[in-house]
Amino acid sequence: MLSVNSLNEIQQMILVIIGVLVFASTLFWIMRKIKPGPQVDELVLRTKSWWIMAGIFITAALVHPGISFVAFGFLSFAALRELSSISKNARIEDRSVIFWAYLAIPVQYYIAYMGWFAPFLIFIPVFMFTWIPFLLVLKGHTQDIARSMSVIPTHLMLTVFSISHLAYLLSLPELPGFEVGGRGLLLYVVFLTEMNDVFQFTWGKLLGRRKIIEKISPNKTWEGFIGGLLSTVAAAYFLRFLTPFSAEIALLAGLLIACSGFVGDIIVSAIKRDFGLKDTGNAIKGHGGILDRIDSLAISSPFFFYFVYLLYYVR
Amino acid sequence: MKHLLLILIYKLLMPLFLKIIGVKVTSKKPLPTLTPYIIVANHNSHLDTMALLSQIPAKDLLRTHPVAAATYFGRNNWLSILSNIFVNTLLIKRREEGGTSDALELISQYLEKRHSLIIFPEGSRGEPEKMQAFRKGIGVLLQKHPDIPYVPVYIQGTGKILPKGERLLVPYDAEVRIGEAIHAQSKEIDAILIEVQDAILALKDYK
Repeated sequence: MLSVNSLNEIQQMILVIIGVLVFASTLFWIMRKIKPGPQVDELVLRTKSWWIMAGIFITAALVHPGISFVAFGFLSFAALRELSSISKNARIEDRSVIFWAYLAIPVQYYIAYMGWFAPFLIFIPVFMFTWIPFLLVLKGHTQDIARSMSVIPTHLMLTVFSISHLAYLLSLPELPGFEVGGRGLLLYVVFLTEMNDVFQFTWGKLLGRRKIIEKISPNKTWEGFIGGLLSTVAAAYFLRFLTPFSAEIALLAGLLIACSGFVGDIIVSAIKRDFGLKDTGNAIKGHGGILDRIDSLAISSPFFFYFVYLLYYVR
Repeated sequence: MKHLLLILIYKLLMPLFLKIIGVKVTSKKPLPTLTPYIIVANHNSHLDTMALLSQIPAKDLLRTHPVAAATYFGRNNWLSILSNIFVNTLLIKRREEGGTSDALELISQYLEKRHSLIIFPEGSRGEPEKMQAFRKGIGVLLQKHPDIPYVPVYIQGTGKILPKGERLLVPYDAEVRIGEAIHAQSKEIDAILIEVQDAILALKDYK
């Protein structure tokens, strides 16, 4: 099924991933030795989750692409579980309706796997957005029902609809002259989103003075944001061999990923503040949970997806 | 045979199931390597028993019994056989259901045979996240067997995954916090009860 040519590209990609991860792990390990602190711990935890993601990505590339869909499905599941657990807005009698929200995960990822574009677009925003309020109505508790009607579908958007776009990248049809395909695009958006977080953090540490929104996220500064943005745009330019992008489009993609990643980050931060939590869970002991890992991706993936789709896949 | 079955369920299948459904178990120290001990926990869901059994070392599974109400788990023969085979329960009658001090006598015999116990002193699952008053039994047992340690456990969130009276499992993040095995310091039953309750509540606040 794979041509020799594309296999070589995949091997190149795998080497690049492993190289970057070894570099990042060593760098953060040294940073922790020199100057230990909770923020460096956070970076070390991040690299750990990158290793897991990379492991899944490589296994899927070499064994079967379906593995990626299952893995992203589990990621959505864990994120949805975390969000509905910390949420103070869903009522205890909404349990059975939340169960239906979980059932949407395999459906959405199956649609993504099959590459059914229109159902993929409408299943959650149209169908689930009706089905969940309908079930709530059938249960008959009207007290605070409007709140549940808006909260549960929003959780689905943030954890399932968003992340499923990463999986759908793998189902995009082949473009003539673009051998790497969806795998390259997936790697590109995940890598740049994660790097943007790290760039923003690093620039913020080095130069950060002027806070952007202190009440939500006290560590976010204009210096960090702009430094991160410029670094991400540069990285987007150099990594464009993973994409069908021309140089100008790659710069735009970097800009889009940096901005949308930032928006995802602060949206999740604000949700955590509302629930009186610093970290959204304890999936990793004593530290942030899964939502903290996917916050930027939750917004950057759909934005990047439609950016690519509208530019290259619409005839 | 039964031992193998218990190992298969609680060492292989249950940890995976609990992980997916969202139950996380954390412990300060591993459970004692020697039986007997009494695990004492607050109670919101059938999952509590499952989570605690999954933490018992494989070699001790056959010698660890969740103490359960005969009127509930023994309400027909099938159920009492099943709960014996799959959960290794020790069924007793609650006082208001005609139970006598014989029940505590029976439990004592198991302790003397060096079997461990899992006891939920609230007596029933109750409402999620609300701790009910403790029954006296645990105090009597610890007074009678001052050499046997108890292990306090605080459980949070399982009452949302599978509350009392519900059949549908819904995933939520829940946590089972296992404390360190300790011996009761007090000699009076009431004082022991307070001591055990405080030990469980102390785990709630510990981060």
